[in-house]
Amino acid sequence: MSEPVVTDDGYDVVIVGAGIAGATAAKVIADHGGKRILILEAGRSTGMSSDKYRSHVTAYHEALAKVPNSPYADNPNAPQPSVLSIRQLLPGPAAGRAPAAVLDTGGYFVQTGPLPFSSDYTRALGGTTLHWLGTCLRMLPNDFSLRSAYGHGVDWPIGYGDLRGFYERAEREIIGVAGDVADQRYPGIDGTYFGGYEYPMERIPPSYLDQVLARRLDGQTITVQDHDYEVWLDSVPAGRNSTPRDGYQVVGAVGNPEQGQRCEGNSSCVPICPVQAKYSALKTLYDLQRRHPVTAAPTGQRSSVRIVSQAVASRVLLDEHGRVSGIAYQAYDDEGSPRYEDRVARGKVYVLAANAIENATLLLASGAANSSGMVGRNLMDHPLILTWGLLEEKVWSYRGPEVTSVIPAFRDGAFRERHSGFRIEVSNWGWSFGPDGLYSTLATMVDGPERLFGQRLRTRLGEVVPRQFRLALEMEQIPEESNYVTIDTGYRDRLGNFRPVIRYDLPDYVRAGMAAAKEASDQIFARLGVPPLRLDPAGGPVDDPDLFPFPRDYTRYERADPGYLTYRDTGYSAGGAGHAAGTHRMGGSPRTSVVDSRQRSWDHDNLYLVGCGNMPTVGTSNPTLTMTALAIWAGENIVEDLRRRS
Amino acid sequence: MAIDARPAPLPAVPPDVTAEPADAVDAFLRLSAALTGFDRMELLGTGMVPRYYDELTRIIGAREVGTLLAAAGRVEPGHPASGEDLDRAFREQILDDNRFGPVARRIVTMWYIGSWAQLPREWRNTYGATSPDVDHVVSAAAYREGLAWVAAGAHPMGAKQQGFGAWARPSRLRPGTGAATSTVTGVEVDR
Repeated sequence: MSEPVVTDDGYDVVIVGAGIAGATAAKVIADHGGKRILILEAGRSTGMSSDKYRSHVTAYHEALAKVPNSPYADNPNAPQPSVLSIRQLLPGPAAGRAPAAVLDTGGYFVQTGPLPFSSDYTRALGGTTLHWLGTCLRMLPNDFSLRSAYGHGVDWPIGYGDLRGFYERAEREIIGVAGDVADQRYPGIDGTYFGGYEYPMERIPPSYLDQVLARRLDGQTITVQDHDYEVWLDSVPAGRNSTPRDGYQVVGAVGNPEQGQRCEGNSSCVPICPVQAKYSALKTLYDLQRRHPVTAAPTGQRSSVRIVSQAVASRVLLDEHGRVSGIAYQAYDDEGSPRYEDRVARGKVYVLAANAIENATLLLASGAANSSGMVGRNLMDHPLILTWGLLEEKVWSYRGPEVTSVIPAFRDGAFRERHSGFRIEVSNWGWSFGPDGLYSTLATMVDGPERLFGQRLRTRLGEVVPRQFRLALEMEQIPEESNYVTIDTGYRDRLGNFRPVIRYDLPDYVRAGMAAAKEASDQIFARLGVPPLRLDPAGGPVDDPDLFPFPRDYTRYERADPGYLTYRDTGYSAGGAGHAAGTHRMGGSPRTSVVDSRQRSWDHDNLYLVGCGNMPTVGTSNPTLTMTALAIWAGENIVEDLRRRS
Repeated sequence: MAIDARPAPLPAVPPDVTAEPADAVDAFLRLSAALTGFDRMELLGTGMVPRYYDELTRIIGAREVGTLLAAAGRVEPGHPASGEDLDRAFREQILDDNRFGPVARRIVTMWYIGSWAQLPREWRNTYGATSPDVDHVVSAAAYREGLAWVAAGAHPMGAKQQGFGAWARPSRLRPGTGAATSTVTGVEVDR
């Protein structure tokens, strides 16, 4: 192979990955002025103008399976995982065979089991914020000290108090969060958690379903594993435009700022907000292009930010002193062809912001930052189970943002000594999660035993669908070295880069959390007047779920489900939340962690890592907000490093 | 032998090429109203009638469509007034028929969610498989015009949004005018 061309030299900072972590670090650094910044994105540009963005909305409308990556075309030069590729890896007990791991190479991930890693991400400009839901819960104080508080996982080298100011900046300067502090009544917090703070925008109104549930549940006590818990609903802070407070400047759609200034209720946050009322990293990237255009000699307040897509980082180059000397990348012209040109980008400081899994494979491929042996290890997600049913009254589902309220009772408490904490999300999208709930309901009515048509079909659908509701119970997964992403020379993508090879399982601590969560859900259903389906053919009348009797709990976990697992002889179908984390964690020691508390590599003093990979534990909050706060912190530290060097 | 390359002269009076297809589309509209429970005006309002007729013809062919529409036409005349009888006749002669039933159900699904689902294997083996008969979304517009969302008091995800905060209030069902194919006429407006 010929020598790579050094086409990009003299940058202050080279960033790999144009998602929210990379865009955030770039913005923090650029806003200090006088910096030259290069951002490399492996995927294609996606809609930095309003009309191009709309093309992805149309792609979503045209997609048969409306999964999270459906609006964003597959790109063989920067392949991405798809939830449609998730397969069961161990034959179920019913198969009557001894469990033997089955290698699944059918998707982008090479899955070695025993459980499939069930989450995806997006490789395109804007990254996974293109299809994130927008939930912006902060972590709780005890989440940062899980080991010392409850004897599980590890402690962070920093605490909630260190991050609080960065949370505020993430909520105001980067994402734009709508929420009411008065609604955030989490266990384990006191008045100092928010201080006198208020979110920049008023809360997204809780759904009609939330209100119905709150009337029945707020202040009720449920008993889980012989312990009593009071339950209530909190409206959830979200990266979604609402009514601004105190002169906050709402950020509308990229290239069309008059659009998307407030959520319109398109009910498709995942996978795409048609009006861009929901934050995506495209907004931050567009802002950077506008305020810090590419110039040869940035001065004063102005920096120069160059964003290059179709540039796949393939190696982190190291010099003889153990410092990073460049990022080798492959520039391709056309994703329909495997042709590319080798290039190298050089700068003073380097930032990897390519997602927890891609950062890990890139570091492993480069033999970089891994003196601890922790790169790729401690892979985490928020494993979730769903419960669903029909309520007695109509709650008019399939309208509004997917989640406007959560039940926070199990986010923290002494029970975390025994089993994982979990968050309970109330879904406004009926039975939809991946496979469309309304579609399968219709299919049952039309093709099932009743073969409904005409006015009867119309009427029945109007009776059943508005009564559908669903909970998602999302566990805190604890870090384990045995859950990892690695690389193997036998598995490469079209450009020759390593595909992630994943080993994944869930420990009893998390499975016990699932059992507790299901018990909590059963009690919540009971308080809502929703009894279980009667399915036992041995005794009494039997419900036919295909006839949709209500109110009933329709939750069933099938042995054939991809994430099916058991705990104490009870089966659960686990899914992923799209929250890959932990693969290059921060810590207090270079022997057990990859980055220090400043987010800098222990091994290379001009290499920073950002993204959920830095998180030692994940708590029960969606990780994007915390990742963003950490990326701001990283950006400030990079500015300090640059100042010290010059 | 010389080849006469001149085009054939146009007939003095063009044949009425529009008459039959228009009748067929109208028959398809009547069938669609019976199958969906949405009346002619509601269906016409989606703008999808000609597109779905074409799509159906593309997938199962003009002969099969013609046979189906003819069969559906034979159901109606004897039962102009009685919804329940007509409903039963439709079920017996169309929905429960081996040839027409599977196609009729696919038409329902197409109207309700804008997607075509491949016909059952038995049907394709008996009446002939075609290459367009695969699972697909008819078009982005077809998705957006799905009747299932209307029937549920909702809106297609990612389109026809109801406005800021609408989700905080109960929705309602658009009162159907009661297509004459069912005794179920009083559609619940609200709870």
